[in-house]
Amino acid sequence: MKIRSMAEPLKLQATGASPGIASGQVYLAERSALVSMPVAPGASGPGTLADAVETAIAALQHLADRVDGESRDIIDFQIEVLRDPTIAEMTEKRVSAGEHTVFAWVAAIDAHIAELEDADEEEVRARAVDILDIKNRVLGNLSGTPVEDFPAGSIFVGKDIEPSRFLGHDWSRGGGIVLFGGSASGHVALLARAKFIPMVVGCGRFDVATDSQVRIDGDAGTVFLDTQAEGISSAPARGQSRTDAAAINHGKLQTSDGVPILLSINVNDPWEIASIDAATAAGIGLLRSEFAVRSLADTANEDKQFQIYRRALEWAGGKPVTIRMLDIGGDKPLAGLEDDSGAMGMRGIRLLLARPEIARVQVRALLRAAPFGNLRVLLPMVTFPSEIDDMRRIFAEETGLLLRRKIAHRLPQIGMMVEVPAAALMLDTFDNAEFFSFGTNDLAQYLAASARDGSDLSAYRDKAAPAVVRLITQAMTLAAGKPVSICGDMAGDPSALPALLAAGLRHFSVAPAQRPAIGSALVGLNADGTRAAGD
Amino acid sequence: MSGSRLTIGEGEPLAAKCQTEIEVKHGVGLHARPSVTFTRLAKSFPCSIEVAVNGSDIWLNGKSIIKIMGARIRKGSILRIRADGILAEEAIRALKELIERNFDEDKKHGRTA
Repeated sequence: MKIRSMAEPLKLQATGASPGIASGQVYLAERSALVSMPVAPGASGPGTLADAVETAIAALQHLADRVDGESRDIIDFQIEVLRDPTIAEMTEKRVSAGEHTVFAWVAAIDAHIAELEDADEEEVRARAVDILDIKNRVLGNLSGTPVEDFPAGSIFVGKDIEPSRFLGHDWSRGGGIVLFGGSASGHVALLARAKFIPMVVGCGRFDVATDSQVRIDGDAGTVFLDTQAEGISSAPARGQSRTDAAAINHGKLQTSDGVPILLSINVNDPWEIASIDAATAAGIGLLRSEFAVRSLADTANEDKQFQIYRRALEWAGGKPVTIRMLDIGGDKPLAGLEDDSGAMGMRGIRLLLARPEIARVQVRALLRAAPFGNLRVLLPMVTFPSEIDDMRRIFAEETGLLLRRKIAHRLPQIGMMVEVPAAALMLDTFDNAEFFSFGTNDLAQYLAASARDGSDLSAYRDKAAPAVVRLITQAMTLAAGKPVSICGDMAGDPSALPALLAAGLRHFSVAPAQRPAIGSALVGLNADGTRAAGD
Repeated sequence: MSGSRLTIGEGEPLAAKCQTEIEVKHGVGLHARPSVTFTRLAKSFPCSIEVAVNGSDIWLNGKSIIKIMGARIRKGSILRIRADGILAEEAIRALKELIERNFDEDKKHGRTA
């Protein structure tokens, strides 16, 4: 479609993915999202790690020139470790065995840290910290190459937008997103709804100048081009205007007939919790760690992950924090990992077990964070009980290593996402899962055989809602009294609540933006899903 | 200070194999700073440099800080150092002298660990 400056604004009808109205200058993204991921495929090959190491050496040398005595000795030692030929050889050996360069290097460094920690002499043991420091410095350099950000307040227009780009952008001055393709049930749409960022998807490709004005309506799914020519005044962005009708006491509600209900929040960006009052929620029902850990370098960075998890646990102050292990693959690819093969392929726990070097880093970070609160670890895309056994084995092995290194840790509860139909049907065979959480977006896409990243098929997934509810109802009877919650989009849809209550669900986890509305809706319903009398 | 030098001459004045043996006589052992001094000097030569401690037949890369630190070299340890390649003789001489000078620790201040 070719658009020119016209007398009146041109209106495109598409699909609303996140409500609200926004207007601003167009930022036209040139390339497809996946091409401009922060760590491009292949960028984590030897060249880039070498660059990160060289950058670290240069920074350390700069520091060394300005200090003396003991500090200088430590820095000299750190530089020498970064240039150590043995570490380079160990890395190469692991890479030729199929490991990723970054993980291979981290493993080589970690092996040396463990060796030092085992030394008899205190002076030698103390050097382990110096090496940990350079490891974090190099990983920081690797993840410190963000994609080009777009101006704050502008409207992003492009084929697609990657989660890391969304999360890295400054949304404080408003703005919105228009995608030529995309889907309302994709992950960026989910992020946009959580952050009140208006978003319209599936408008097809159109031409627009980068500096022209555009207005989008995320409720109606419309895009108005050249609004400046017409002088259309932009409506104020929709804020949190809904009243918090439910008297919410740490997310503990009651249905109209007095049955207790828990309402937790889903967290994508761990920084966003800082602005949320912890007293409004029963805890974090789902922390999507793949949005906190945005690059391959971050997945190798145990310390960075530990800090993120610890912050979430401290925020919750003893209430449960459910952290889902990295659900990468499918429509959430992590650049540099080539074994991604779509929504039905190598993703979630399958990828974690196939790439144990990624899983082990996260497991250590989780084990170390656990003492700081009430941690529950959620495994994504589980199909068979054996997958949980395999992951539990990794937890046990890493526990043993932390024990030996005398590092504080605790084994958290381990549960599973119920999002693969085969698992939902066989829920009674998962003795090794301590809790369950329904992921309705994936259940719907697999039940209706319609991929969630294709906007054309959203109607199929919507129409499959009764099938999803029937499957959940059946699975509830197989849950053997273990804690069950629901964290998918269906939990945030007020019209779905009666059926979910009737199915027996008593714990809902929704985006912070949806929490007030869902809270209000729940207290107006009876536990069997019927509307309260007089309502 | 016991030292023996063995040169397997190849006719080539620069490329050679060379080995020496020396006792570490100072209490500093080979902790962080002396190790850094040693590996930095070793790295300044193009030949390979390997170290074996107290009669061990395990030869460690003398340019690797983690190998040298992990070797647990202490006062009284006997080091065998061997070099192979260009400037091997010069490398052995320089490293031996460094150990004889107590890794230049006396010239420095601060931490001795």
